[in-house]
Formats: sequence, C-alpha cells, structure tokens
Amino acid sequence: MANRARGRTGKGAPAEEASAMKKVKEWSNWTLKKAKVVVHYGFIPMVIIIGMNSDPKPQLYQLLTPV
Amino acid sequence: MAATTVKAEPLGQPPEEKVAERVDYLNLPCPIPYEEIHREALMSLKPDVFEGFRFEFNKGLNPQFGLSHSVYMGLAEIPSQSSETIKIPTAQYEFGANFMDPKLLLLGRVLTDGRLNARAKWDFTDNFSLKANALLTNEPHMSHGMFNFDYKGTDYRAQFQLGNGALFGANYIQSVSPHLSLGGEVFWAGQHRKSGIGYAARYNTNKMVATGQVASTGMVALSYVQKVSEKVSLASDFMYNYMSRDVTASVGYDYILRQARLRGKIDSNGCVSAFLEERLNMGLNFNLSAELDHSKKDYKFGFGLTVGQ
Repeated sequence: MANRARGRTGKGAPAEEASAMKKVKEWSNWTLKKAKVVVHYGFIPMVIIIGMNSDPKPQLYQLLTPV
Repeated sequence: MAATTVKAEPLGQPPEEKVAERVDYLNLPCPIPYEEIHREALMSLKPDVFEGFRFEFNKGLNPQFGLSHSVYMGLAEIPSQSSETIKIPTAQYEFGANFMDPKLLLLGRVLTDGRLNARAKWDFTDNFSLKANALLTNEPHMSHGMFNFDYKGTDYRAQFQLGNGALFGANYIQSVSPHLSLGGEVFWAGQHRKSGIGYAARYNTNKMVATGQVASTGMVALSYVQKVSEKVSLASDFMYNYMSRDVTASVGYDYILRQARLRGKIDSNGCVSAFLEERLNMGLNFNLSAELDHSKKDYKFGFGLTVGQ
C-alpha cells in the first residue's frame, strides 16, 4: 500500500510541473498574440499622437494638407 | 617647443615627439557598434538599387515629427526554384510617421498590404539604450520582432538581443588601441536549433577602414575602404562561406560631390550596378538606379524622385 502511494506521488509531481509549464507557455503565447495585434494597429497612431503633442505643437490641419 | 625640435633634428625622431605620441591606453575612444562594423563598406557597395518608379514625399511638421508618403510602381521579384527570376508588376503606397528626439526615436511605415515596419530606440541613460525592431504582417507566422539592450562603456560596447522564435544573441566589442577594435558575438536560435559564435576586427584611420569577420555559420567577410580624397572613396569586399563554398568579391567607388552622390560597383558574380542621387534643388532629389546581372541576364533600371523639406 505504501509502495503504491509512493509510486503515485512519484508520477504525480512531474506531471504537475509539465502542466504548469504548458500553462505558462499558453499564457505567454496568448499575450504575445494580443501584443502583436496591438502593435500592428496601434504603433503608427501612437507615433502620431506623440508627435502632435511635442513642441512646437503642430496644428491638426498640417497633418492632412500636402504642403 | 616645435622650433627646438626642428633645429636639433637628427635622423631619427627626437625623444619629446615620441613621448607625445605614446598611446594612452586608459583613454581609448568608444568603438563602433558591433552590427555597424562593416558600415562604410556597406554604404559604398550596397546602395538600395530598385526597379521601377519610386516617389517619396517627406513632410516635416516639427523639427522632431514628420510624415512620409511613398509610392512605388514597378516589378517585384518572386523567389522561384528555377534559375529564371519571375517578376510581377506591383504598385504600392507606403505611409510613414517618424518622431526623432535626442532620447527617443520612433519610426513606423505601413504598406497597403498591411505590413508594418516599426523601429524604436530609447536611451534611458547616457550609456544604456533599448532598441526594438519589428516587421509585422497579416499572414500568420511571418512576423519578426527583435529587442536589443545596449550598454556603452568608456571603450567598449555590449549588447544583448532577444528575438521571436526564441532567438538570443549577445555581442561585445572593445577598443584595444586608438585604431583597432576587436569584438565577438554569440547567438542561439531556438526555432531552427542553430547556434553560432563569431569574431570581428576593425582597423581604421582617417584614410582607410579595414574590417574582418568570421562566424561559425561558415561565413568569412573582409572589407577594405580607402578614402582617396575628400570626394572619392574606393571600397572592396570579399565574402566566403566555407560550408556552402560560395564566394563573392566586389569592388566599388563612391563619389560624394557637392550636388550628387554616385556609387558604382562590379561583382564577381557578373553583376554591375550604379546608383546616382542628385540634388536638383533645395528639397528635391532625383535618383537613378541600374543593376545589370550578366550571369542571370536580369537587368533592372529604376528612377525616383524624393521631395522633402
């Protein structure tokens, strides 16, 4: 009985570690995917916002006119 | 001081001059960053030749902030298995925004097919800076990103790189004398299960730059650039891959004139190319590019105009 219990805990610990690693990998994949979408859509608007707020502060129409 | 040394001039140099020329090894200049070690040769021998028509308009709203609009109409090459290159006519528009501050640099370019090319550089302190570079596409698994952490010491530079696909790299370069700097790099690519180590050396004076680089991926690259006069410099480059037995040597020139810059090169693969940038007027630049590949019978000609304040 004791041997069987020890056997079960022996196999249990590495399985738990493996699933914890899997969870960490899944989470990091999920965050990387979301971060990629955020950077893809948001990088250029962020640069424009930072630029429009730097001084000397440019006017909004200057963003659109070709001159 | 100078008059006495000239009068007492024997055949060898007088001892006072020798002492003044002794190198101060504790005060060496900071070396060039490791990835820019071939910078002069690359600038002279590899201008970005293009095929078709390229128009670029740079609008500065601010000394720090600018927008750029660029139109390209021409042929794009599709990589193919056969020796024939397949070209498809394409037209694309690229919008870009850049913000340049002494401490922060942000550059973003987006194309009509949704590809984003983003670069950022942030100097936290005088010595420590963070750079990031990303090429993001809509297609899955085709995007790349890389982060670099740089530390600049008094006479050395160290960099640590982190990229997607479990890419880790580090490099270090040190000035060992006022003219010579030596460096090494190591990288590990998890996805492709490759790792490598490389060494580089750079010797430069006011008139010439000689660099050499060896890597365990089988690459040996040597280059030499000589500044013949204020306006002319000549460059040559040799690249050898000892695993795939691939050799390329090229020789080129770079004329930097008042209103124009002309770069030309000839290659051992039978490729001749030239690139001219001419300043027609303040803020108006005209580019002409030609690349003739005689071995593949592929001739590319391009012209472009850049309008920018």
